[in-house]
Amino acid sequence: MNLVLIFLITIFSLSLFFYGRSKTKSISIQNNIKLNALPKFYGYYLVLWCSIPALIFLLVWSLFEPVIIKSIIIETAANQGAIFNDKNEANLIYEKIKAIHLGTFFGDIDSILKESAISYAKFLNLFTNSKIVLIFGIVIASVIYSLKKIKNNNKARDDVELILKGLLFASSLIAILTTLGIIFSLLFESIKFFSVINIFDYLFGTNWSPQRAFVSDASKITSAELEEIKDAFGFIPLIAGTSFIALIAMLVAVPIGLFSGIYMAEYASVKVRRISKPIIEILAGIPTVVYGFFAALTVGPFFRQAGESLGLTVSSESALAAGLIMGIMIIPYISSLSDDVINSVPQSLRDGSYAIGATKSETIKQVVIPAALPGIIGSVLLAVSRAIGETMIVVMAAGLAANLTINPLDSTTTITTQIVMILVGDQEFDSPKTQSAFALGLTLFIATLILNYIAQRAVKKYREKYD
Amino acid sequence: MSNIKIKSKNLNVYYGQKQALFDVNLDINEKEVTALIGPSGCGKSTFIRCINRMNDVIDICKVEGNIEIDGIEVNDKELDVVSLRERVGMVFQKPNPFPKSIYDNISYGPKIHGKGETKSELDEIVEKSLRKAALWEEVKDRLDEPGTGLSGGQQQRLCIARAISVNPEVILMDEPCSALDPIATAKIEELIDELKKTYTIVIVTHSMAQAVRVSQKTGFFHLGKVIEVGKTEKIFKNPDNKMTQDYITGRFG
Repeated sequence: MNLVLIFLITIFSLSLFFYGRSKTKSISIQNNIKLNALPKFYGYYLVLWCSIPALIFLLVWSLFEPVIIKSIIIETAANQGAIFNDKNEANLIYEKIKAIHLGTFFGDIDSILKESAISYAKFLNLFTNSKIVLIFGIVIASVIYSLKKIKNNNKARDDVELILKGLLFASSLIAILTTLGIIFSLLFESIKFFSVINIFDYLFGTNWSPQRAFVSDASKITSAELEEIKDAFGFIPLIAGTSFIALIAMLVAVPIGLFSGIYMAEYASVKVRRISKPIIEILAGIPTVVYGFFAALTVGPFFRQAGESLGLTVSSESALAAGLIMGIMIIPYISSLSDDVINSVPQSLRDGSYAIGATKSETIKQVVIPAALPGIIGSVLLAVSRAIGETMIVVMAAGLAANLTINPLDSTTTITTQIVMILVGDQEFDSPKTQSAFALGLTLFIATLILNYIAQRAVKKYREKYD
Repeated sequence: MSNIKIKSKNLNVYYGQKQALFDVNLDINEKEVTALIGPSGCGKSTFIRCINRMNDVIDICKVEGNIEIDGIEVNDKELDVVSLRERVGMVFQKPNPFPKSIYDNISYGPKIHGKGETKSELDEIVEKSLRKAALWEEVKDRLDEPGTGLSGGQQQRLCIARAISVNPEVILMDEPCSALDPIATAKIEELIDELKKTYTIVIVTHSMAQAVRVSQKTGFFHLGKVIEVGKTEKIFKNPDNKMTQDYITGRFG
């Protein structure tokens, strides 16, 4: 139904384009006046005016219709004597009514449900009809309004510009509102979590075992239960594991990435660069899950066997394997970003250094790298924030147990892994265990936000210096 | 008559397919300022970049012919470029101080060439170079501040000090004043006058007035060829070549 409406509105308003264009042309010829804009702008003006209000109305209507019908139906069902204790049961009854209406319900249908299904069909019909009537009304109103405007030779160009600006603004608003929505949902769920678990117990606790917290309803928690789960949500092992794996990753990625960036920027001939740069960048295009099973199935077992032959106990899921593979994943980011910043160091600096007799490597070490340093630091920080936000590799290769360890051969866990572990499978949405995932998400978000901010500042400062 | 310091014989330079210099024969006298003038793209800069082999940096550039400094062939593949550039310093069109402190900008060269083993020796070199570049009085209290924070004219004098720091014999200047205002230009010209007592200087310039003011000998380049070389006075007052005459009177270029 909606699709048909959208189609009709679109076709109708597009056809108005030609009408508006030729109409204003003829007006201008008949009355011998100069139009305020090219005829095609009057066409655009009609199109925009006839489509946008109707489409916006349709969108808003479609968002609210089900909600309103649902509340009406539930209320009528209650009036007819349906019994439900809470929201969930009400929802269940509503779903049953809907199924009966669609003819997909196979169960006992009592009289209350039957009545409700009939009134549901009635309301649905009523709403659809009024929707169509209203949309036609809106389209007609906007056609009359905009036709009157163009007959008066309005400044259609300015108006079209204004409407387009409004559309673009609305698009960016959607993006911004979505971001805000995500942040607030993280924030509110986290606040619920922190109303049960003390924030200091969370931030400084050294024990992470959320599976201990069976409590299903956070609002009805008893003090005995609280005592039981109080120290199950210690953040320290997670941040330690996350940082540790990120550190191993950086130890791999920074030297290799930086050196390959230097090679690409300073030594590689145009030919070599043209071939090897895309190859390095392919590394960035490999899905992280592929890295993940590579880490879990190849590198992890390899380390374990190698360790065994040396007489070491290496767990098959180890921080070392995860960190190593993550480091390889990050190489292209550091390499291509530092290649870019090194390339943007002005040639005149290199010339100055060569002219005084410095060799290539002296020039790179003492002039080019110091000049590019802020940018390089920025690229490393961006890579760090990728490393701590990376999920798939650590889920597959780092392990699940929250060990507080600095042994790279031991299994450890990260923030992202724990979020995955908490949220897979069926969950009670108001248990502290589930809510802790939001708290972790919020913490992770804040950490990467700070890192990205610092990194972008560093890169920007560098750009200003040489632009 | 002073000695010939640099002698080029049938020098040809190519950038890829394009020939930039055609059989350039030019002698540069010791402890004198030689000015190279000519319209843009005529090969002046290309020529001076041959003297310290800076064209090596450009992949597609090919140099044929001879350039001798004190009778030693510069284009010899066996020649050590590092020690060549120690003897032949260069100052560029745009001031290009390193993103380091003023002190480190100057001490960079001496350190590379193993001069100034101790801190006090380095201090001495830095002070001497800055004094020679007439910058010492202005920066002596802020040697640890970044060189990029100086004004344009100061930056250019810093670059001259940097070139002097390794005690070269020849200083090449590629339009050293083109990015500077008249006051800073006057200071640099004064400095060049002072420096020619110690160094052989080759300066590329677009300003005839500057060539007249600072140089003893002038070479006029056009389309990669040396049209006329001679005493500055003669070139500007009474050139032999019609083309030189036209250029210096501003009829083309």
